[in-house]
Order: sequence, then C-alpha cells, then structure tokens
Amino acid sequence: MSEHPHNPHLTPDEIELWAQGLLRAARAIHLAECRECLTTGEHERKLQRDLARLPRFGPEFGFVERVMAKVRVQTPSGNFRP
Amino acid sequence: MVEWAKDGHDAAFRELVRRYERPVFSLVYRMVRDRALAEDLAQETFIKVLNGIRSYRPEFKFSSWIFKIANNAAIDHLRRRALDTLSLDGSPHALTPDEMQATALQIDGQQESPLDEVASRELGSQIEHAIARLRPEYRACILLRHVEGHSYEEIAQILDLPLGTVKTYIHRGRNELRVYLEGVHE
Repeated sequence: MSEHPHNPHLTPDEIELWAQGLLRAARAIHLAECRECLTTGEHERKLQRDLARLPRFGPEFGFVERVMAKVRVQTPSGNFRP
Repeated sequence: MVEWAKDGHDAAFRELVRRYERPVFSLVYRMVRDRALAEDLAQETFIKVLNGIRSYRPEFKFSSWIFKIANNAAIDHLRRRALDTLSLDGSPHALTPDEMQATALQIDGQQESPLDEVASRELGSQIEHAIARLRPEYRACILLRHVEGHSYEEIAQILDLPLGTVKTYIHRGRNELRVYLEGVHE
C-alpha cells in the first residue's frame, strides 16, 4: 500500500501502542487502509501476547532458607506483621 | 515492607525474598539458561539486596533496584564466561544473526544432566529458543519489558542505559524475534 502524506505509516512506537490497544483512533484508522502496517501490527500483537504468556519459573524448594542462611540479619524479628 | 527490612526484621527479609524469588529467578534463568547457575546468581542477588538494603534509596522503585542487581549478576557472569556466551550467542562482536550463528560453538554429544533436561523442557519452546538467540542486552530489555512489564523509563534505570538506547534495543529485539519466529506465527 502506498503511503499518503497525511496518513503516514505507523512508527514502531505506534505499532507497539496499537498491539497493546492504546493507539489513538485517528492513527489506528491507517490500518484500515494499509495492509503492510496491519500485517506488522498483527505480528507484533501476537509476539507481545506470546511473551506476556511466558511462565515464571521458580528456584528449587528451600530457596528462601538458603538465602537467609547467608544474610546478616542485624536484629531478630519480634513484632513484624506481614 | 522495605522499611521493616531496613530495621533488620527477619520476617520482612523472608517476605521480600518470597515476593521476588520467581521474577528474579525467571529473569536470570532466561539470561543464562542454566538452572543451577541461575539459582546461584539469584541467591547472590538476594544476598546483595538484603545485606545492602540500608543503601536502598526510596526514590527508585524497589523492584527496579532488585532487577538491576539481578541483571548485573547475569551480565557479569556472561562476560566472565565468554566461552559459554559464545556457545549460546556467537561472538559478542557479531552484528547479524548469521554472524552470531556462524561464530556460535557447537556442543554436540555432551551428556545432559538431570537439571539440563529440566531446562530443556522448560526453555524448549520456539519462543524461548528465539529469546536465547538475542544478544544479552536485547534479551534483558525484552524480558524486562514484555515478561516483567516494566516501563521504558524503569528499564533505562535498571540497565543504566539512556532511554533512547532502551527503545532501540527493544525494537531491534522484537524485530529479531519476529524473524526467528517467522513461519511459527504464519
């Protein structure tokens, strides 16, 4: 699709905003006319979704105790409430 | 919580470790792709954080401070063990994915330990492989932005980089990921 001077291609920042649903409508309308930007945007949206779905991993059981064994705690806990 | 920890309350220390152990471990694990090593580096991170908590300045987000220490631990390790880095990423001087692949070491025929097998299972998806192919600076930016959800400004603070550099790294990292995942997303 050709780029109209009054409706230029989306910048990488705008593509990112569109993928997050945050691009203002006046710019998002460009995607209705530009297959190139739409394809880039859809790939970006898929990538961001896949990244956001990556699991968090945890260390082996007992990690807190292993850390605490090596930390210098200056005063014992008496009245802490989590 | 941080104030309690600054006062030396053992329970506050434990709670901070519990809150941040998974995000810190995940970041470091994805940076070094070795479970045992990631656990050592995550431990090192928390020991530095807790022993140095009185030097924490509240004008920074606490999570940014922890991630800065964790990322530094991972990057320092990757620099110290340049040979290991080569095995994952190719030469640090490589400018293109092809150059990185051409300079990467092959480690065929090595016996996998049980922890290696766990890592293969956990980090075996196509997107994890694609992330692993990014150079460490891009990888850290992408993980902090899209997995941990930090803003560009926070990432600049965590990585001690100018804001423009962070934006560039993230854009380049995402472009590389899209290339590596081409076909997968079709």
